[in-house]
This record gives sequence, structure tokens and C-alpha cells, in this order.
Amino acid sequence: MSDHIQDLHLRSKPQRRMWQNFLTERGIDVFNDTEIDVIDETIGLLDDHDQLVGTGSIAGDVIKYIAVQNEEGASGSRFNMVVSELVSRLAQRGVFHILVFTKPKYTDSFEHVGFTKLADSDQGVLLEKGEPNIQTYLADIPKVPAGKEIAGIVMNANPFTLGHRYLVETAARENDFVYVFVVNQDASLFKTSERVELVKAGTQDLENVIVVNGGSYMVSYATFPAYFISSPDAVIDYQTTLDARLFKNWIAKDLHIQTRYLGSEPYSHTTDLYNQALQRELPPEVQVKIIPRKELGSGDAISATSVRKAIEEDRISEIENRVPETTYQFIVSHKFELQDRIKKGKKDGD
Amino acid sequence: MEIKKTAIAGTLESSDVQIMLSQGTDGIQFDLESDVEKQYGKAIKATVADVLKAYGVENANVKIVDKGALDMVIKARAIAATQRALDIVDEPMWEVL
Amino acid sequence: MATEERLRRTMMFVPGNNPAMVKDAGIFGADSIMFDLEDAVSLPEKDAARYLVYEALQTVDYGDAELVVRINGLDTPFYQNDIRAMVKAGIDVIRLPKVETAEMMTELVNLVEEAEKEFGREVGSTRVMAAIESALGVVNAYGIASSTDRMMGIALSAEDYTTDMKTHRYPDGAELQYARNAILHAARAAGVSAFDTVFTNMDDPDGFYRETEYIHQLGFDGKSLVNPRQIEMVNSVFEPTEKEIVNAQNVIAAIEEARAKGSGVISMNGQMVDRPVVLRAERVMRLAKASHLVDEEGNYIGK
Repeated sequence: MSDHIQDLHLRSKPQRRMWQNFLTERGIDVFNDTEIDVIDETIGLLDDHDQLVGTGSIAGDVIKYIAVQNEEGASGSRFNMVVSELVSRLAQRGVFHILVFTKPKYTDSFEHVGFTKLADSDQGVLLEKGEPNIQTYLADIPKVPAGKEIAGIVMNANPFTLGHRYLVETAARENDFVYVFVVNQDASLFKTSERVELVKAGTQDLENVIVVNGGSYMVSYATFPAYFISSPDAVIDYQTTLDARLFKNWIAKDLHIQTRYLGSEPYSHTTDLYNQALQRELPPEVQVKIIPRKELGSGDAISATSVRKAIEEDRISEIENRVPETTYQFIVSHKFELQDRIKKGKKDGD
Repeated sequence: MEIKKTAIAGTLESSDVQIMLSQGTDGIQFDLESDVEKQYGKAIKATVADVLKAYGVENANVKIVDKGALDMVIKARAIAATQRALDIVDEPMWEVL
Repeated sequence: MATEERLRRTMMFVPGNNPAMVKDAGIFGADSIMFDLEDAVSLPEKDAARYLVYEALQTVDYGDAELVVRINGLDTPFYQNDIRAMVKAGIDVIRLPKVETAEMMTELVNLVEEAEKEFGREVGSTRVMAAIESALGVVNAYGIASSTDRMMGIALSAEDYTTDMKTHRYPDGAELQYARNAILHAARAAGVSAFDTVFTNMDDPDGFYRETEYIHQLGFDGKSLVNPRQIEMVNSVFEPTEKEIVNAQNVIAAIEEARAKGSGVISMNGQMVDRPVVLRAERVMRLAKASHLVDEEGNYIGK
């Protein structure tokens, strides 16, 4: 009759244990730090006897760890109460766009409370609710005339190097237009706004290149919540598949992108798995072209990782031949700030 | 009047309706999710539209998730959402009530 | 004045921001329905609850129930708009929480009167009641109860009161003994209704009956309730006995007799019948009717 909402404090050991037990009983048993550390707040739904009968959490614009114990004859009412409370708390924070990553079997429940499915895989589904949504995001991107050859590239560009430049140049030469989406992720050394500006500056001479912030829809797939998937092997498959389908079904479809360009990945196993997922998911509607990495000679491929390492170790001069002039100037003039960010990041255990 | 900020009112619980208003440029645009959309969709939108008109709002995107709300609930939630969106929560327009 | 007699056995709390409960509040047969804009509503939803209750009052038929709204306290930013919206909606009674002094009621009444004028409601048509939730409120109970002609009643609110008294609630209610008696005396002396506090443990019906029988014995008009299931339980405690009904019928017959004779003096069995006896008889008959223990003509029909 009178279930009520209460804050749950995961830092409190007894509350954390109660919360974790409740979720485990309902088939959610992944509680690693990457999932938990990003949580801003957690709510509990308690019944007349102060027993936990529902919970949900907020992490940025994502809601997660949602579970309820259903009452007899009142299916969904507790679920709706929990989601309502989360929506209202996000509204208090000024967040009106909400994403949820969850098991496919809960798709209907979320659609029933106003969520729209963006993408799914066997393991997980991504839904959103509110404004600005994916239509609004796409509407704001400049459109190019129909019937042209259009390519798309998604890059973190942390920071924008000559390797990235080579990839963009290749696509720009082979197509009428190229969309470059800069991954929106503020955990990077270079902030999203800085990375977007450096990509714009470094491609200014290429008239058929359109640089766009990836917004909520091109983030690092590794940040997709996977708390509901117990098997670690399944996680990367779910994350990369969801990312690929989101790109294909919404971004490429709306912007008429026919080819996605990727840089080859000789070093990173996970990125290699990501590229494989793209090759599996995108065709035939979207072709995938993998461009070998530009090398400096003697097998020394240019990577943003090596640039960041050089900044950290104060070997700035070694960067000059790896990045466009615009990126180099930015690094030189922000050297201390960047080094400071690296130190802070290390201290925070990043 | 112009919508100043995105605002939301109401819940997803049974007999309630959740109404979200955001800035629009093309009149009042509705997006309605309801189990009874066929029978009551028009009436639900008309109630919200009346409230917006009373506040002089001409452009807005309106997202409605209806959970079987009575007309009076829809009106009450529309009033709350509109006042929040117009940033006049503390100075309600009494003549609209 | 004040005791325009109506039964107030049950005052049911209804969370003001819950459409399902606001909509259905009239179907349980509570004597008074109290829409709550205060504790049952979280801070960000105060405005939304106010408009929900406002619209409900415009459209929902709550039958004969007396309609009460608990507004937010005068130290909150919601106080004035709550008053204006509820007066505009034509609420019967405004309940002010955490009342400690007569001046708080005077301030409320002034704002209510302003609102009545602003929205074209009859001045004086909105009544008020006070919830007493602190030691200071209990000590000042008579001043509060007699602070205005608009006063409908005073109620004890035990959660905050016991906290203020550095205790908490116990099953035997000894911690509330003084407050209950003080509030009841203040109400009776001022000629207004008296309401006992809520009983929240739904799993203890025996405890609920015990407490209700106790406050009925003391003389309270009724009890605040959080759950519709409690309504019937309270009503059964307030049912008059057959003997009380027969007695009351005798008194009523004597009144009619006197009226027919054009006599100002009511007498029964050679004794003068005092006004309190008349009032009690009338009250017993109202209770008997509400409990369906008498028919239209007033004949006892039992259960």
C-alpha cells in the first residue's frame, strides 16, 4: 500500500550489502569498480516493513542497476515508481535526456514508460528517453546533397595526430564528403571540446570534411554499462555490437554514410575486436575500409598513445613530426596544464 | 510566452501522466505514448494544448507518457510542467487555474 | 458557534501528489478527507501536488465528506501559494501543521481572508484547523483552539511531539497521556473538534482497536488515519450501544414534546434536560444513523 523511496548510500557497508544481495537475487551480479564508481546516487524502494523491494541508480545521464520485487497483481507499479523517481531526480539535476543499457527482456517495460530503443544485441539493449534525443542530435548535423559518396570516421583523437590526418585525408580523397565524429568522453587527457577544436583546426584545408561532436551517441564503447552481463567475454562483444548497430541504424542511415573508415590496429587487442565487430555488423549497407597506419618509417606507427607518453615524459620536441602544426602549437602552449592533468589522473588511480 | 528551460512533471505511476516540455520552433509538437492512445489520444493532447494556450506558449515540444490519467490529472501536470518550463513556479498564473 | 455538528470520526490522509489516491479518496466513506501537501510530498513536487489537489477539488465528487488540506508550514516558501490555491479551489478546511501559538493561526486567517477576497469566495467560508506537534503547542492549546471563529478543530500529531518530548511512541501510549488530555480540554473549552494522532502499524489491528477505544473513551471526535482499511475499524468503535440509542430517542422525544407544547423547558421523568444532554442525544442519533443502526424513522434495527 505505501511503498516509499529512500536514498541508499553505497558507501555504508550494511546498505551496500543489502543492495548487492537484492540485485544478486534478481540476476544482477556484476559489481566491479568501473560500474560502481560512476554512480552519482542510488535510491531504494521500501515497503511497509522497510524491506527493500526496488532500487535504481543514476550515473551521469545513464540509469542503471534497476531491479524490483514485483507484488502480486500489481506488475510494473514498483518498476514505474523507481523509474519515475530517477527521472525526477535527473530533472532536478537539469538532465532531461536519459539512457538505459539493460537486458533485452526489459525492453517492453522501458518502452512502456516512454523510452525508445536505439540498438540491441543478444546480450543487451540501449534505450533513451527525453530531450535532446537522437533525432535532435542528427537534425543539428549539417547535411550534404543527396547522391554523393559519403564516408564516416569515428575517432577519439586524444590528441589529433598525423595518423588521424592521414586517415581523414584518404577518406576525403576517395569520397565527396567525410563526417568525422569526435568521441565524447571527458576521461581523456584532452577534453572533448579541445579534441573537437584540434580536429577542426587540423582538417581546415580539407573542404569536404565535416567535424562533429559525437554527443551521447558516439562515446567510447568501453563505457557502455555491462553490469547485467556476468561473463567478461560476452561484455566486449555486447559493447562493440551495440556501438556498431547504433552507428549503422541511426547515424549512417540518417546521414547517408556509405563507408566507414578505420585505422588498422596492430597494438590493441580490444580495438581489433571492435574493428571485427564493425566488419561483421555494418555491411552491406555500410562498407568498412581499413586503412593501414601511417608509419614514420622503420615500422614506427604514429599513435596518440605515444604522443601522450612524450608529453608526460617532457619530450615535446619528439612530438613535432607526429602531429599537425595546430596540435603541436596547442601542446606547446598547454604543456604544463597537460602534464598536470596526467599527474592528477595518475593520482586518482586512472 | 517562450519556454525558458526543459521541464518535466508527473510520474509513470498508474493513473498519472508524465509531461515533458522543451523549446520548439514549429508550433506545439506532440509525442504521445499511451495504452489508450486510439480512444483518448486526441483528448489528452487537447487538454495539454489548452493549458499551453492559456499560458500563451506558442512553440513547444511536448512528450507525454500517459498511464491512464484522468483529464484533471493531465491538466494539473500540464500546469505544473508549464510553470516550471516558464520559470514561474513561485509566481503561478492564478487566472489559469 | 463553531460546533456545527457533523461527525468527524475519521480523517483520512491522502498524499497530495498521488493521482490514484487523490482520485479514489471519496470511495472509502471517511467523514473527512485530508489532502496532504506537506510531509507526503517531496520538495521538488510541492507545486505539482498543489495543482493536482486543486484540479481534483474542481472535478472529483467526494460526496458528503468534509474536505481538508494540510498545507506546508508558514516557515516554508510554499505556504502562501498553498493557501491561495486551496482557498481559490473552495476547500472546506485548511490544516496548518506545527502550530505553537495563537498568532500563527491569526496570520493564517488573515491570509485566508485576503485570498477569499481576491478570488471572490465568501469571506469566512474557509475554516481552519491546527495540528499540534510540540510541547509549546500543547501548552498553548486553548489559545490556539480559541484563536479564531473559523476554527474547526485541533489535532494531536504524535511523531514530532514525541521527538520534541525526547521520547518516542510506545504501545501503551503513556507518553501521549498529557497531550491528549490537554488538547481535548482545549478543544472542548473552545467548542471545536478534537482529533487523535495516526496509528501507523497496519500489522497490529489489536493495538489499533485498543488505542481507538481509549481515545473514544476520553471523548475525542475522531482519529487521523493513514489507511482506508482503518475507517471501518474506527466507525465500529464509535458505534453507539442500543441502550445509548434508546436513551437518546427518549431525549429527542422529550424535545419534540416540549416543542409541540411551545414550552422552552425540556423535561424528562420530572427532571430538566440540560443542553449538554440534548447535544449528546443528537450526536448519538447521528452516529446511529451513520452506523446504520436505526432506520429512516429512527427505529433501532440493530446489526
